Amino acid sequence: MTAAVATLVAGVVLGYLGQRSRMCFVGGIRDFMLVRDGYLLRGLAAFGLTAWLAFPLVAAIGGAGVGPFGTPDVVTAALAVLGGFGVGYVSTLANGCPFRQHVLAAQGVVSSAAYLAGFFAGAVVFHLWAAPLLLRLLP
Amino acid sequence: MATVVDSIAPVRSRRTGVRVTATVTGIVGALLAVIAGSLFDVRPPDAYGLCMACHARDLVDWTVNAAAGTRLTVAPASLVFPVLTPIGVLLGALLAARTSGEFRWQHPEHPLKTFLYGVVVMNCALLAGGCSIRLLLRTAAGETLGLIGFGALAAGVIVATQWLRWRAAR
Repeated sequence: MTAAVATLVAGVVLGYLGQRSRMCFVGGIRDFMLVRDGYLLRGLAAFGLTAWLAFPLVAAIGGAGVGPFGTPDVVTAALAVLGGFGVGYVSTLANGCPFRQHVLAAQGVVSSAAYLAGFFAGAVVFHLWAAPLLLRLLP
Repeated sequence: MATVVDSIAPVRSRRTGVRVTATVTGIVGALLAVIAGSLFDVRPPDAYGLCMACHARDLVDWTVNAAAGTRLTVAPASLVFPVLTPIGVLLGALLAARTSGEFRWQHPEHPLKTFLYGVVVMNCALLAGGCSIRLLLRTAAGETLGLIGFGALAAGVIVATQWLRWRAAR
């Protein structure tokens, strides 16, 4: 229950800030390539750097640490490459990362609401069909 | 391309409302993600404090499991009660849009097309083990697999942007 309340509160704060700042986690790279605009890219870098500093700091004050992480096997790494590329490619075509789509849907963009419907349906599709199929095909 | 231009326009809104930069959002987001994961039980798995795809999957699968008695996968963090990040983000963004006067109904693209985009992105994200946010979070936590996924994501964005530019130039 703690996790549910914590994520709800964090979500509200982030949703608010995300709407005010137009933050998008794929838009930074896209905007920089298209128009040399580094506004969103700075947000992406700030997120990565802050998290990198915050993980050891929070662990030092008594929080649960992360890792150690093992070396990934080839199949898992290949799936990460395939999935990561797909997320980046299709999110760019869809005009925003999943976070941005949540924010757009909340400000009245109907196509983003349709995106979210597909996004939520996709979770069931993955666990009912895609994952079992992959498990059968993979070594 | 109107939607792309709209989304990359800098924050110089004439409307009222609190002004926040993407950098501030990035910093606050990362702090919340790490604190939620390390101090508020949004784990295991590691670096699970914030993810739009995995948390949405947990919420949807948990609800379907509860309603239909299925056994769809949820992360250990969401076994008893699901994480509520998607609902929180929707509520927070709705509040921001309403208070700043930026809420308005728009239909920039065909809903069927974006529905399919949503299905594909969710499947790819679950394959990679996170959406763009969590792949970066895992990278920051020092996980090699996160770095591999985030590198592939960056490559995907670059290829798609080149393709969009090529299509617009034709």
